[in-house]
Amino acid sequence: MKLAWQNIFHDRARFLATVLGVSFAVFLMVFQGSLLVGFLRAASRFIDASDFDIWITARGVQAFEFGATLEARAREMAAGVPGVVETGRACMAFAVYRKPNGKQQVVALVGADSNLGKHFPVPQLAETTESRLLDSILYDASDRDLIEVASLPAAVEINRHRANIEHEIKGFGGFLGVPSLFTSYRNAARYLGFGPEDGMYILLRVGKEYSVSDVQQNLRQRLPEVDVLTREEFAHKSRMYWVIKTGAGSAILTAAVLGFLIGLVVVSQTIYANTIENIEEYATLKALGASRFFVARIVLIQSLICAAAGSILGLLAVVPAMNYARSLIPWIHTPWWLPVMMVVLSLLMCSLASVASVRSALTVDPGRVFRA
Amino acid sequence: MPDQFLAVEDARISFGKGSARVRALRGVSVTFERGTLSLVMGPSGSGKTTLLSLLGCLLSPDEGIVFVDGVAVNELSVSEKTVLRRQKISFVFQAFRLLHSLSAIDNVALGLEIREGKRADNMVRARELLLQFGLRGKLNHDPNELSPGEKQRVAIARALAGDPPILLADEPTASLDAEAGRNICQILRSQVDQNGRTVVVVSHDPRWKEFADRMITLSDGQIKQEEQGNKA
Ligand SMILES: Nc1ncnc2c1ncn2[C@@H]1O[C@H](COP(=O)(O)OP(=O)(O)OP(=O)(O)O)[C@@H](O)[C@H]1O
Ligand SMILES: [Mg+2]
Repeated sequence: MKLAWQNIFHDRARFLATVLGVSFAVFLMVFQGSLLVGFLRAASRFIDASDFDIWITARGVQAFEFGATLEARAREMAAGVPGVVETGRACMAFAVYRKPNGKQQVVALVGADSNLGKHFPVPQLAETTESRLLDSILYDASDRDLIEVASLPAAVEINRHRANIEHEIKGFGGFLGVPSLFTSYRNAARYLGFGPEDGMYILLRVGKEYSVSDVQQNLRQRLPEVDVLTREEFAHKSRMYWVIKTGAGSAILTAAVLGFLIGLVVVSQTIYANTIENIEEYATLKALGASRFFVARIVLIQSLICAAAGSILGLLAVVPAMNYARSLIPWIHTPWWLPVMMVVLSLLMCSLASVASVRSALTVDPGRVFRA
Repeated sequence: MPDQFLAVEDARISFGKGSARVRALRGVSVTFERGTLSLVMGPSGSGKTTLLSLLGCLLSPDEGIVFVDGVAVNELSVSEKTVLRRQKISFVFQAFRLLHSLSAIDNVALGLEIREGKRADNMVRARELLLQFGLRGKLNHDPNELSPGEKQRVAIARALAGDPPILLADEPTASLDAEAGRNICQILRSQVDQNGRTVVVVSHDPRWKEFADRMITLSDGQIKQEEQGNKA
């Protein structure tokens, strides 16, 4: 125990190099992991924000952002299926937004019925007067620079229809590279020029006493022309579409996987090198009669001290980096388990690497200890 | 029946395979009597270090038997050999092999910890051992602050921590100047005379002859000559 600390204290420069190596790895793994986790979360955030059980989409729709129209009467047909207790509608399409200063900007327009759930970004009756509700619009704080409204409410145009920007919200920042605007379903359908027969997403709430999958089967039989997915299925499909089928998503996935592997390799390499440095001395201990356990414990303690210090430093560096990144990449997200998992994995890799590197010292090679 | 306190019987060992095969020992039988200092000599590559490694349970012979404290070591498992080494055998190396990050006293205390476990009085006993070898002013010095002779005395103090009956030294004076070397010879001799330890020294250094009870000369993996030392 004392030896472990003394080795660290005595070779401070090497300790620092080891700690920096580990902290870089932890930083890399947490940062890249946050990009991937945030991306996956953002890819299904609208679906997750609804609290309905079943989504009906046009056949083959891959992600919320790329919907297609379906027949609006599917909603009435679905409502008649036993177990369906409530229905709602949502849509999303690109539109042209005209700022108060006259400039134009392409935006993603999201429309939804106000019963979709309290997390879903949609103007609520309580927040706005009945008369205004018709053309009330919300935007996300991260898109403020592109929306360019000086004060709220602001009169703007969407697809040449009059509209009113009423509120700023948080948590639904730009993921498509264009700002998003949120409004009621009725409103969005009007801006997007939906006819009375057009719909896009039909959401269904299933009664507590019914099984969601039974209702889903039943709906599939009655509505063979459309896709009927549970919320989790659609969310998963959306995430997989974004992360695997789009270039941006695959790049983020690849970067995260590489970051993870590189992180683990850096940790192992750093610790391995650090242990190998003293391998002669571990061989001496063994020759003096120390048990494998005795030597392994010293090596392990020394590595874990390095790993713990490196992890703490890495996490300390990640906090400001994440805060800064969030201003550029609003959807980046670090769940609590990500740094915990990365640190635990780093400690594990440290232990493995140090024990692996010391294995050769545990069987003392006499040529080694007697060498001049 | 000779005393099988420390002995090898018809030991053979080779390294490598095929044409690179080196037969380091080719049937060596030798007994080291309790309470004696034996000197092993011979040209480079004659198998001196290999013989010492067998005696120290660091290597096992391909054929033949090694006895330590009357026990045939061949039959022991690796961890049993470690235990035997911990209880009975200590080494002194040409390169000292002190732990570079520990002070002189911590090096000796670690030797005590390995042999006897963590004990409250380890530091006191480590200090006593170092004082015994005239290292009073050097207790808290790091190895790199010590002269070669001082390093070897610290290493001997560490080897004697835990009071092992057998001391195996490979070229203990080769890295030292004449005076320091002589000092080490005297120290190891006194371990025999005063503490009854059994010491085996491998060395080219002719100075050892006057301190040895017996001299064994190896050549090409075999014992070429055995003679009485000046002390006998
Ligand atoms: N681990 C090993 N692998 C391969 N060959 C070895 C090994 N250990 C020793 N040898 C060979 O065995 C022979 C005897 O080696 P040993 O070290 O015992 O000689 P030595 O008498 O101690 O020599 P020196 O005086 O140079 O220290 C040498 O030829 C050496 O190359
Ligand atoms: Mg040798």
